[in-house]
This record gives sequence, structure tokens and C-alpha cells, in this order.
Amino acid sequence: MPKITLNDQTYDAPPGKTIIQLADEIGIQIPRYCYHPDIGIEGSCRMCLVEVEKSPKLVPSCATPIADGMIVRTATPRVQQAVRYAMEFLLLHHPIDCPVCDQSGECWLQDYYMANAGHSSRYPGTEKTRRKKAKDLGPLVKLDQERCILCTRCVRFTRNVTHTDEIVVLNRGHASEIAIHGDKSFDNPYSGNVVDICPVGALTSSDFRFKVRSWFLKGTSAICGGCSTGCNLRVDHSARAMGGGIPGQSASDGKIYRTVGRRNVDVNQSWLCDEGRLSFHAMERWPRLQFPRTRGESRTVDALLPLIHQRFASIRDEHGDASIAGLASATNTNEALFLMKKYFAGRVDFRLGSEVETYQKRQDDLLRRMDKHPNTHGAIDVLLAAEPAGLGGLKGIRKMAEARQVRGMWISFHPQLIGDDAPEILVELQQLIGALDFSVVSTTHDFSWTAGATFVLPMAGWAEETGTYTNFAGRVQISNHAVQPPGEAQPLHKMMSVLLGLSSIQVSPDPAAIFDWIAREVSPYAGMDYDAIGPLGMPGVYSPQQEVVR
Amino acid sequence: MIPVKGGYAVDVPVINVSERARREQATFWSTFKAFGVTFSRLFTSLIKRDMPTISYPEQTRNYSERFRGTHILTVRNDGSLKCVACYMCATICPAECIYIEAGEHPNPEIEKFPKKFDIDMMRCIYCGFCVDACPEEAIVMSREHHQAAYNRNETLYGIEKLMARPGIDAKGPGYRPNRPFAEAKIFDPKKEPSCAIPSVTEERHPAVLYESMIQKRQ
Repeated sequence: MPKITLNDQTYDAPPGKTIIQLADEIGIQIPRYCYHPDIGIEGSCRMCLVEVEKSPKLVPSCATPIADGMIVRTATPRVQQAVRYAMEFLLLHHPIDCPVCDQSGECWLQDYYMANAGHSSRYPGTEKTRRKKAKDLGPLVKLDQERCILCTRCVRFTRNVTHTDEIVVLNRGHASEIAIHGDKSFDNPYSGNVVDICPVGALTSSDFRFKVRSWFLKGTSAICGGCSTGCNLRVDHSARAMGGGIPGQSASDGKIYRTVGRRNVDVNQSWLCDEGRLSFHAMERWPRLQFPRTRGESRTVDALLPLIHQRFASIRDEHGDASIAGLASATNTNEALFLMKKYFAGRVDFRLGSEVETYQKRQDDLLRRMDKHPNTHGAIDVLLAAEPAGLGGLKGIRKMAEARQVRGMWISFHPQLIGDDAPEILVELQQLIGALDFSVVSTTHDFSWTAGATFVLPMAGWAEETGTYTNFAGRVQISNHAVQPPGEAQPLHKMMSVLLGLSSIQVSPDPAAIFDWIAREVSPYAGMDYDAIGPLGMPGVYSPQQEVVR
Repeated sequence: MIPVKGGYAVDVPVINVSERARREQATFWSTFKAFGVTFSRLFTSLIKRDMPTISYPEQTRNYSERFRGTHILTVRNDGSLKCVACYMCATICPAECIYIEAGEHPNPEIEKFPKKFDIDMMRCIYCGFCVDACPEEAIVMSREHHQAAYNRNETLYGIEKLMARPGIDAKGPGYRPNRPFAEAKIFDPKKEPSCAIPSVTEERHPAVLYESMIQKRQ
């Protein structure tokens, strides 16, 4: 293994890596614009120059492979001077309009200027080059050519990752600019990623642009709820009370403004698909259910839960254990599914449509999968591992309800974040509710088909609860709660822990404690520890058809 | 004040009242001295008409040019709002009383404009930080300070009220630290019938964008 000396420390480095990759692993900061680990190496920005002993010139660390006996220094005065010159060139024609630029606050030019440059411009501001501003590249991306520093990250993304080659560099020298050929539209299903990887304010998202300034946002790591791939993402939501006490205008109530891909080499690298990126808007597609809907009287969720437990207990005493059952959804967390299974003594199913058949099927060759539920694998592990037939899915349960074998049910419904739930599922759910004596529906939105249910309870949706999802390959990942659920809505696992407490099984509503119980009882999760899962998830011990993302 | 052993927790100056009384020597003659002051003021105000008080609501004093009163939003030479909705004022505001909603301006050179710019005058502490932070001199302060209203909603000033209201003409601008540098003028309702607030070029609600993308992909 080659030995390399980096800033007077010797490291064993695997061959084939470049200096910047090693420095990233060790934690040595090297400034860069064009280098990104997932899109290929360009070496055009000259920000990552380092000094290599016996080399007459400074070398770009992103494009220089490690060799045995190399002695590298990253912070010598010569390197610092070179970085300062590179910054001066990049800022030469940059319109320093940070107050109106949407990238401000998370701009790499701002960061590296403060850290490495700090010069004052030698160029009269009035003679700066003017170029096209706010040009629509596609439905999601806007380009500002003035702010572009030509790092070509976006060009390499379309060339090497999506293989669609929409974005190119046109013209040469000082006239070169990022553009799209002719009247083509940049509308591939992964277009939003160029906004994430753009280090400056050149590419901005039409969806997020001007909505809020980045310093008002707080990031919470979560898992995309759009499909069974389970891409890692960061939910950016309001953190500070903007507008203070102005009634109806305060953003302190927790609003999600955007989602950004979080790097996880084993799942999604740095990418998100556009539907997944915008899927948080699905939570505002219909009016949210804020308070429980009962027939007649209005009561709080906490007051209704003992009543619900009494009704379930009386049905069970009268008609036997098989007369009550639960129907969950594959968007519920493992914790909620597990507690539901405990409460209904194993009589819980989650299959509304064809989740199990499709959850490992790809929709394209990058990230998207056919099944639009994030936790189908987890639901199979938790609910169907011991008894693969289950209750026969939604169709089977409806038949049982019509045959009066099942009389009381808890139905938990979370709509798909991407696309629409099949209309026949909703019709069937309505028929199921009609066939039952006693039905509790916990749902996120105020759907009309729930009208016949005895009780409709508001439930926390995606990004409003903490819990684990298991992705298509059996990888267990934690999705943290970012914003508060509206009104009285509660996470399903919390309501289930109250019901279990009423039936004299004391459970903590803490997802960590529930997961540790899962790890003791569900064999694929044996030996797992909630605290050890970490931000990047943990691969499953057992996985029926392991399929690896390329 | 919490008494602790050996005195107070904080150093409190002790005033010896009897000592002070002895020093000031209040005697029989000091009564006449006091009446002398009273009658001399009576003489100046009655005979010479030199009165220090004014009949306040009808008469007002001139305030300093740096008076920090109710805010004014300035306009460009063509009468359109100068604000570019950069949120610098909302960011610096220690009272968090400024609420802005930005929109896409039809002119890409200007980029942004405030669709909504509200200041809650009941929350505002008139510190003037918003004026200092503004890169465009789009917000300045006036010499007006009357906030009496019949309900709280009236104290929530929107764009129209911040840009043009009767008080601005009467009092003129106040705190405006960088006047020589920027071209921003105060909206004159006599010259311009209405302010050219740009309408939103294309209303793209995120949910609409999301729906259209889904339909396109299917």
C-alpha cells in the first residue's frame, strides 16, 4: 500500500485515490468548486492546488493520484497565495449581489472568500460583464449566467450520472457560458440535483427560489417517503419565528421549504429524483385532518383512546380474538407496525395494492422504484415474517368483514407521497368501513371516504414522526421528525403505545425503545441497536433478494 | 435586593439624609428665594409671552433629522417600489416584526420584489437596524410617531401604508444614514396616482408544479 505524507503525517492510502479524496477521509479541508465525489473529475477551478515535494508546480489535488512516498502540504504560503489568485479570478466578473442572490448563506464563494481570500476587487464594478439572468432551463431549474463560475458540475452531472447530456458549455474563453442546445428543455427526472451540487447561485430551484432565505432554515436528516429506495435526504424547515407574533403569518409553526439530497454511497449517492424532492408538497395536497372526527360529540384523541380500547375489548370478548384486526399502510414506521401487531395479536396486514410484488422493481436505472411506499420491506419483516399469508391483504380483510368474521378494525392510512393511490383501493376501503361494526381510521388528511368510520383520528405524516424505515434492500434507516404535526395529530406508534398500556402492556412511546424491542423479537433485526443505526442507516442482516444500487 | 451577611450583595450608595439637610441649610430665607423663582417665571410668561409649554396636538415641535419614527418604503424614479425583498431587515430585526414574502420580478435585473411587506408597529422597537441593514435604501424612517389605533390590525402596516400615508408629507423623513449614496425617493401621491407594484409574473404554487410534473411523467 502506498505511503503518503500529508501535512507532516504519514498515512497508508489505497492506490487509485486522488489526494483530495484521502484528505476528505482524514478530515483535512481543501477548498474546491469543480470536484464532487459522485460526478467525475474535471480539474478546472484551480482551487484545490497543493504543494507536492519535488514537483516544480503546484498540482490540483482532485486530479492527482496518490503515489508512494509522496509528500503533500496543503497549507503553505505558496498554496494560500494560489488559492487567493484563483478566487480573485472567479470573483472578477461575479456580480456581488449577495442580498438578492438565493444561494446567499450557503454559497461556496462566500465561504471560501471569507476563509481563503479576503481581497478587495481591483476591477471597476461598473464594467462587469452582464449576461442572461433568471433563464428557465426546465420546469425545476433556473440559470443565472452572471453568477456562474463555470465549474461544470452540472454538465458532468448530466453527462456522467443521468447520461442525458442536456447542459453544455457553449463558446470559448471569456464568452463561454453554461447553456442548453436550442430549445431543448432540461426536464429529466433527476434535474433538481444540479441545484444541490451548484456551489454558487447560478442554478436555483424554481420551487424553492425566493421562498425563504437559507439562514432561516433548520436541517433535519430524514428518509424520503416517496418510494421503496429510501433515499437519504435533509428536510429544510423553518426554525426561527419569522414575523414574530403577526397572527396567521408566523412561520414558527414548522413549514417544510425544501428537501436536499444527503450523501449515502450505499443508497442514493448524493441524488434525489424530482418527484421525491418535491414529494413533501404532497402533505399539503389535501386539507389536513387536525382534530378527531367522531359521530356527533367532539373529543380529544387522548380521551378517545380509552373508549376505543373498551370497544375493541368488548368485541373481542363477545366474538373471539379473530373478530378484531388492524390494517396498516407501508408508509407507517416499523415501530408503529410492530406495536399495532402487538395490540392486535398478530392480526395486522398492510397490503393495499401490489406493494409486495413491486417493491424491488426498478422504475429506471438510477433510483426510482415502482412501489411508492418507503417501508414495504420493513412491513414484510415485522408483520409477515412469521405468517407470509397474513390476512390476505385489503381484499382478504374485506371478504372477512363481509362474512362477519372481523367486526372491529383499526385502519391506518397514509397517502402515497408520489402519485395517487389507486381509486379502487379507496373504494375498497370505503366498502370495508361499511362492512364493519366498529372502525377507527387514523389518517393524515381529511378524506371523504372515511365518512362512514366510527372514529377518524388525525395521524402524524411523513417528516412529522421519528421512526425507522427499511428500504427495498433491507437497510434500516432512521427518519427524524422535522416539523410538528398539525392540531392534535399524533404518530401512530404513540397512539398504539397508549392502547397497549390500557391492555396492561407498558410500552414507552420512544421509538428507540420500541426499536430495541423489535430487535429482540423480529429475526431480521436481531442484534441491531437504535443508537448504532446512525445517520446513514444499517444494512439488514437478512434480506431475501439483495439488490445493490450501482 | 437580597440582604446577605455583612451588607448587600450589590454595592448600594448610602445617603445620609440628615447630613444632606444640614448642608443645604433650609432656612426662613430660602422660602422667599423659591417664591422669587415662581414670580419671575410668571412675569416672563405673562408679560413677555415667553412660554416653555406648547398646545401639543395643535402645535408640535421640530424633531431631529435623525428621528427614528414609523418606517417609509422608498420608490425608484419611475415610481415603483425600491425594495428587492432581500430579507436583510427581517434578519437583523431584533423584535422580529418584519414579515416579507418575495416574488419574481418581471425584470430579471431586479429579480425580486416584495409581494408582501408587513411591519408590526406594536412589536417594533424603532431601533433603526433595518435602515442600516438595507442595501438599497428601500426602507428609511420618518419623523412620525403616532401609533394610536382602534384595533391591532390597524397597527400592522402593509406596503401601501408604509409607502404613502398622510404623516409622511407632514413630517418628512427621519433617520436615513446613507442619503448621499442611493437614488431612492419618497413616494409622492400628487405626482404618481398609484405605485407600480409589479404583479406576479407567473403564479406557480408548489403543489401545482408538483402535480404537473407527476402528470407529465406518467
